[in-house]
Amino acid sequence: MNLAKPPQAIAAALSALLGRERFLTDSQSLQHYGRDWTRFAAPAPSGVLLPNTIGEIQAIVGLARQNGVKLVPSGGRTGLSGGAMATNGELVLSLERVRKISPVNQAGRSVTCEAGAITAQIQQAAAKEGLMYPVDFASSGSSQIGGNIATNAGGIQVIRYGMTRDWVTGLKVVTGTGELLELNQGLIKNNTGLDFRHLFIGSEGILGVIVEATLALTDPPRNPRVMVLGVRSMAALMQVLASCQAQLSILAFEFFSDLALEKVTAEHSIQPPLQERYPFYALVEFESTSATAETRALEVVEACIAKGWVADAVLSQSESQRRSLWRLREDISETIAQWTPYKNDISTTVQQAPELLRSVDALVSQHYPDLEVVWYGHIGDGNLHLNILKPDGVSVGDFQDRCKGVSAHLFAAVQELRGSISAEHGVGLLKKEFLRFSRTESEIELMRGIKAQFDPDGIFNPGKVFDP
Amino acid sequence: MKALVAVKRVVDYNVKVRAKADGSDVELNNVKMAINPFCEIAVEEAVRLKEAGTVSEVVVVSVGEKSSQEQIRTALALGADRGIHVEVEGRPEPLEIAKLLKGVVDKEQPQLVILGKQSIDGDNNQTGQMLGALANMGQGTFASEIKVDGDSLQVIREVDGGLQTLKLTLPAIVTTDLRLNEPRYASLPNIMKAKKKPLEVTNPAELGVEVKSHVTQLGVAPPPERAAGIKVEDVAQLVDKLKNEAKVIS
Ligand SMILES: Cc1cc2nc3c(=O)[nH]c(=O)nc-3n(C[C@H](O)[C@H](O)[C@H](O)COP(=O)(O)OP(=O)(O)OC[C@H]3O[C@@H](n4cnc5c(N)ncnc54)[C@H](O)[C@@H]3O)c2cc1C
Ligand SMILES: Cc1cc2nc3c(=O)[nH]c(=O)nc-3n(C[C@H](O)[C@H](O)[C@H](O)COP(=O)(O)OP(=O)(O)OC[C@H]3O[C@@H](n4cnc5c(N)ncnc54)[C@H](O)[C@@H]3O)c2cc1C
Repeated sequence: MNLAKPPQAIAAALSALLGRERFLTDSQSLQHYGRDWTRFAAPAPSGVLLPNTIGEIQAIVGLARQNGVKLVPSGGRTGLSGGAMATNGELVLSLERVRKISPVNQAGRSVTCEAGAITAQIQQAAAKEGLMYPVDFASSGSSQIGGNIATNAGGIQVIRYGMTRDWVTGLKVVTGTGELLELNQGLIKNNTGLDFRHLFIGSEGILGVIVEATLALTDPPRNPRVMVLGVRSMAALMQVLASCQAQLSILAFEFFSDLALEKVTAEHSIQPPLQERYPFYALVEFESTSATAETRALEVVEACIAKGWVADAVLSQSESQRRSLWRLREDISETIAQWTPYKNDISTTVQQAPELLRSVDALVSQHYPDLEVVWYGHIGDGNLHLNILKPDGVSVGDFQDRCKGVSAHLFAAVQELRGSISAEHGVGLLKKEFLRFSRTESEIELMRGIKAQFDPDGIFNPGKVFDP
Repeated sequence: MKALVAVKRVVDYNVKVRAKADGSDVELNNVKMAINPFCEIAVEEAVRLKEAGTVSEVVVVSVGEKSSQEQIRTALALGADRGIHVEVEGRPEPLEIAKLLKGVVDKEQPQLVILGKQSIDGDNNQTGQMLGALANMGQGTFASEIKVDGDSLQVIREVDGGLQTLKLTLPAIVTTDLRLNEPRYASLPNIMKAKKKPLEVTNPAELGVEVKSHVTQLGVAPPPERAAGIKVEDVAQLVDKLKNEAKVIS
């Protein structure tokens, strides 16, 4: 690894500010903090900074600006696009020690926390007070709220609760000039000009660093139950989605392909949920608040069976069964990791999702008839996760090269449907060269202009999302 | 042959059970209920025997309040043919449940009775054994595998040091252990069908049983809360704490 050293002048000042324990330059720490969940590039930061306070963060930004040193804001490093990778001698600005969660505000149904607070801990703090922070996904035990906001994370209940953006009522950020901005202060109503909060949500660390957030909370769902439905086609799946949405109080509508189910049931030695196998499965979670709600769910599915859209279905009879059924969906990502899959996270409007799946399927079988393809995703949001599995005996490098060849075709198909090449995971480094498939050149130029306003010297996360 | 399966309505296995503030009992208000997991295994086993053609009819019985009918319906959705609800107020003790089940056994004359080895609310592990004594039937408890062979039943039991194989003469009683099978999910078409399956409601008087209470619960208490963990600075400190504070190594 190419170990860059932080410039002498700033190194002395940082040591004075943070001490040796919070300014790390050993190679193990550089490796550890220099990368996120992706493994496609080598980490090469010049140091790792672990500030305790917002004041220290402002001082760090001041020093970085004076010395022309670049900073990579870093959260739980569970990101899937390389946004938190430091590959070029940057300093990693880790928020992990700035993590205080203030007491939940019952009357305002909100909670204020520092950016380094772990997502699951915020969820637990809310649950203790009988409330819920509803943005949830498989990595919430490690991701930070600052990272969630910087990526506008989605998850498994977006169809009901929306994305992270919908829950942020206030932000404190430190911009590239070291200035601390207080954005929207937790207000529900505040129509006083441009709302910068929404520029920082999904900004992937390129405008500055998020240091504190105020989040809205809601009531937890009542008596959630899960159905898994066996479905013969994507078109039928979308009909089922429409029926469920019209008649049930849906919390989630996810899907996975038969190969995904096969891998998960084999990995965990469990039985498949249905007697027979079907090309696709829908996992529907709904609130069953009364006997009538349950009856309505049964009637909806019965009607879907009568129409031929659903072949067979099961309904959880207990909390244990609800959790076991969820695992069929939630364990997919981890289960297929052993095949070092080539992952994609694409979206389109909900109504065009089957078309996207069809054209991508055609592409894959044209270029990669020999490879296994696992489909799953948040189909109720028009979001598909495409995973091509690496066959045994092929090197990771060769496999990645081969898959990259298909990316351009894949993203062209997404562009044709005016969809997104990155639905949830952001752009970071991994999707940068494909950004123009979803955003126009003039939009990207506007983004550059906005970055220059908040970060005039370009010290924050340079080279992420777009080239300077 | 006819199989009788007993199912109990208990607090859902995944719900964290809490004591009431006054410590008199566990909190059951607004708590999710489900079939006792071992009873679910019992239902599954009976249904598999029926699918294999060994059993001709699966009758499921539950002793409890009216709401127990939900669990009977679930068992019917899993493949049982008809249900019997013995309506009882409160929480009868294992001996009383066993006597009521004996009443049902007398009426139904099953060749095979399958129960869970214990229910996760009382953790008593008594009902199956008491029923065996009352009905004068052989019993194979903690079964991890059963096979009907003519008019006898082979039961493999999980005992401390390994496995024990028994041969029982029918009619007989089996109580299920965790590894007997993996219960299926209830399919929606079967849940619909289950709504139309017969469910007979009876009571202790009709079965000629007088329900008495012999045991009074004085109180329940949660386990002591664990102290929060601490972070050690280095291996030396860890070893020191394990030695001198936790005293787990010397
Ligand atoms: C198993 C698994 C499942 C996942 N499932 C989902 C899912 O369902 N939905 C979904 O949306 N994502 C999912 N992800 C992706 C990832 O967990 C999310 O993107 C998460 O929000 C990243 O948070 P983090 O704290 O780990 O951020 P990091 O990876 O540390 O950083 C992500 C980006 O945010 C920037 N950043 C981090 N903190 C700050 C800050 N305080 N201020 C400014 N910028 C900052 C970084 O520079 C980087 O660009 C999953 C990941 C894994 C590993
Ligand atoms: C009796 C009454 C009750 C009201 N109650 C409420 C209330 O409860 N809540 C509330 O929020 N408001 C309320 N309002 C205020 C007003 O009705 C709202 O602000 C409304 O949204 C304005 O819409 P408009 O089409 O009349 O906009 P206009 O008055 O025509 O314009 C408002 C602003 O929007 C700009 N604008 C208009 N159209 C466009 C466009 N297509 N593209 C870009 N900019 C555009 C204009 O330049 C101007 O700055 C009330 C007003 C009245 C008279």
